[in-house]
Amino acid sequence: MRRQSLTRWLFWPGLLLIALSASAQSPELPAGIIKHDPYPAPPLALRDLDGEPYALKNQRGAPVFVHFWASWCGPCREEMPAIQRMWDTLEEEGLKIALVNTAEDEDTVFSFLAAHAPTIRPLMDRDGQVTEGWEPRGLPATYLVDAQGQVQYQAIGGRPWDEPAYLDFLRSLIKAP
Amino acid sequence: MLLCCPALTPMVLMILRMNSLPAAGRSGILLLLLLWPLSAMTEEPAYESAELEVNLTPRTPQQIAAFYEGRGFSEPMIAILREQCFITVFIHNKSDDIIWLDLADWEFADSDGPLRRRDRADWKARWQKRDIPLAHQSTFRWTLLPEKLDFLPGERKGGNITLPRHNQPFTLHARFDTGEARDGDPIEITLEELQCADNP
Repeated sequence: MRRQSLTRWLFWPGLLLIALSASAQSPELPAGIIKHDPYPAPPLALRDLDGEPYALKNQRGAPVFVHFWASWCGPCREEMPAIQRMWDTLEEEGLKIALVNTAEDEDTVFSFLAAHAPTIRPLMDRDGQVTEGWEPRGLPATYLVDAQGQVQYQAIGGRPWDEPAYLDFLRSLIKAP
Repeated sequence: MLLCCPALTPMVLMILRMNSLPAAGRSGILLLLLLWPLSAMTEEPAYESAELEVNLTPRTPQQIAAFYEGRGFSEPMIAILREQCFITVFIHNKSDDIIWLDLADWEFADSDGPLRRRDRADWKARWQKRDIPLAHQSTFRWTLLPEKLDFLPGERKGGNITLPRHNQPFTLHARFDTGEARDGDPIEITLEELQCADNP
């Protein structure tokens, strides 16, 4: 009898501890975010709009928000202002961003971003081949790459990145070891 | 209207003979009858159930030319695109399960028989033969509906499909497998009286 009540006494706190540790390891996913079995991020080495070289492999040590877009894509246009607001909030907290334009020219990208995301420096995938290498489901496409260069999550379509659920989720990635 | 909609002719004649109705009432009913086929013709072909929504919007050659000219495509490319029948397809998985788009399971046919859709591989070969810049090939590819995609619960996506341009109405019969292993009950849809869109 005494052994039974001791087992009960240990069981529930134990279960609670397990649940808490599980939730600490895998943050609750906001709508439209899918978890991958981690895999190494495909190559991403491009020049930005000013001609400066950029390589994703040099960004190790912080999570990177990798986003592929084009100005002709309706959902991309809708999503971009939310990305800018998210970036305004999380840049200083340690998130990095790679905003990759797919196969458009400088004038198009410059005039679009001036109106929708003026402080994000875009990367130019001029012939679209880097985008192809990531095999997105469509445009827009967002991948979340961890500090070790592994793709951990993918967003399905455009997402309201500036909403609290998404900001909290991205913060959990920044804080992840 | 009597020429374009022979099925309505007896109804129109009957209304014209309805002396019991005031003239204003008769003309009102006639106006509704006139507008009805117009609205029916402009309605976009669509399928909607609790699980799946599919919309098809035929595009005119002018719309297609304007879109791709705006992306800097060359005139020879635009000339080829004007000759196609473009249909923008929108798909929304409203279910809690995976729904598979596989364009190999889509059959277009008119009264003369099956219509052959031009797929991504066809377009790639065509553009490569003409040394079209990779950037334009890429943009064009991203505007096409994927050949195959597992639509996740809640996912929505659109893109174009291309058929040979022709004047006859045609039918689409499409099958969507369901379930992660494609072993759920398939969803079969049929959309009739599709038309390529002409310039106004």
